[in-house]
Amino acid sequence: MKKILSVLLLLCLFLTACSKDGPAETEIFAMDTYMRIRIWGDNDLLHDAVDEIRRLERLFSVTDEDSEVYALNQTGNAELSADTAEILEQAITLSERTAGAFDPTVYPLVSAWGFTTGEAHVLTREELDVLLPLVGTEHLRLEGAAAALTDGAQVDLGGIAKGYTAQKCLELLSEKGVQTAMLSLGGNVQTLGTKPDGTAWIIGIANPEAPSEAIATLTFTGSMAIVTSGGYQRYFDLDGTRYHHILNPETGIPAETGLSSVTILTQDGATADALSTALYVMGMERGIEFWRESNDFEAVFITQSGTIYATEGAAPLLGGCEFEEITR
Amino acid sequence: MKTKTWLLLFSLLCLLLAGMSVWLLLGGEQAGYAEVYSDGELVVTLDLSKDTEYRFERGEAWNLLSVRDGKISVISASCPSQDCVHHAASDHGAPIVCLPNRLVIKFARSSAFDAMVG
Repeated sequence: MKKILSVLLLLCLFLTACSKDGPAETEIFAMDTYMRIRIWGDNDLLHDAVDEIRRLERLFSVTDEDSEVYALNQTGNAELSADTAEILEQAITLSERTAGAFDPTVYPLVSAWGFTTGEAHVLTREELDVLLPLVGTEHLRLEGAAAALTDGAQVDLGGIAKGYTAQKCLELLSEKGVQTAMLSLGGNVQTLGTKPDGTAWIIGIANPEAPSEAIATLTFTGSMAIVTSGGYQRYFDLDGTRYHHILNPETGIPAETGLSSVTILTQDGATADALSTALYVMGMERGIEFWRESNDFEAVFITQSGTIYATEGAAPLLGGCEFEEITR
Repeated sequence: MKTKTWLLLFSLLCLLLAGMSVWLLLGGEQAGYAEVYSDGELVVTLDLSKDTEYRFERGEAWNLLSVRDGKISVISASCPSQDCVHHAASDHGAPIVCLPNRLVIKFARSSAFDAMVG
């Protein structure tokens, strides 16, 4: 009997010992978004993470006159540092892989629509005819560290930079010995490792109709990059019509494919970022076909009618909602 | 006292302590407040149980916040994109953010999630 009582007593002590052993956390504004960084372990490494984000922001910004991307867009030529060359190479590869549904040269269109300036403008047919020939990765050449743009094309890494940054930031933290961390960079979420208490990560997927609420959850352990693209994230209304920020690079106008959002789950942040945009532009049918041809990501689609579809690798992680499973 | 009684008492104690631990881990009772931050600095804490309006100003920039029926929203703002105004009224979950004005509205009520995508 004493043994039983001892076990019970130890259990009591264990339970009372449970306390908030949470992560170190900081928040910053960078890359035109709001970012949260959480690290379980050495609190000082938060500064390293912030420094890394700021360093990459200075390279990739389209508006910072000192950035490498700004120089490339202005002069048509630039010698790039390793990170800018790497992200551009990755952007070109993902653009080719998605047959242009994701395109890093879409900047002239994004800029003309006013999504970067906040000065909303609906492009006319004539304006589209002028700008569309500037879009396409055939205008972007990358040879080692040297990049060149032809015919007045301009690059915008907005569709991949946050994902690339999350990836690089977590790689840096991992090299410094961090085993568990989570970055939330403007809605892009990337996890490193499993929480010290062994509990799963629970990531909410925003309800496109009420983005502060979750419509579903993804529950998993370990490292994962999760990115959602949705027309509801940034838009303007003009004369009774809503225009969102995800442009179809082929037509130059906001992609309308019956989807409200696409969430990508994969191991690489940049891939998750670019593919979420690409599959939103592709729509459900082409997106599923693309997924079946691939083996490096899973997806959750939410249609404008509110139906949720999950690919068979995402389905076991999805909860809090009714959904239909997509099989290979 | 009999052994069974001791066991019963210990079991009840365990249950009580387990409940307290869970309560502590979840952050205790914090519902009903929104914290307004400007560039990382706490500006004001608003009680969501009281209907009110609060005008945030930062230089030329401003956001008009409204607390109604237990939820907070940005009803108008000087920012060009109006993303914060498009954000639905809320009382928990993901923060409401106005990027141009560096404004963040966070909720005291614990979120059931580690983060949100979207």
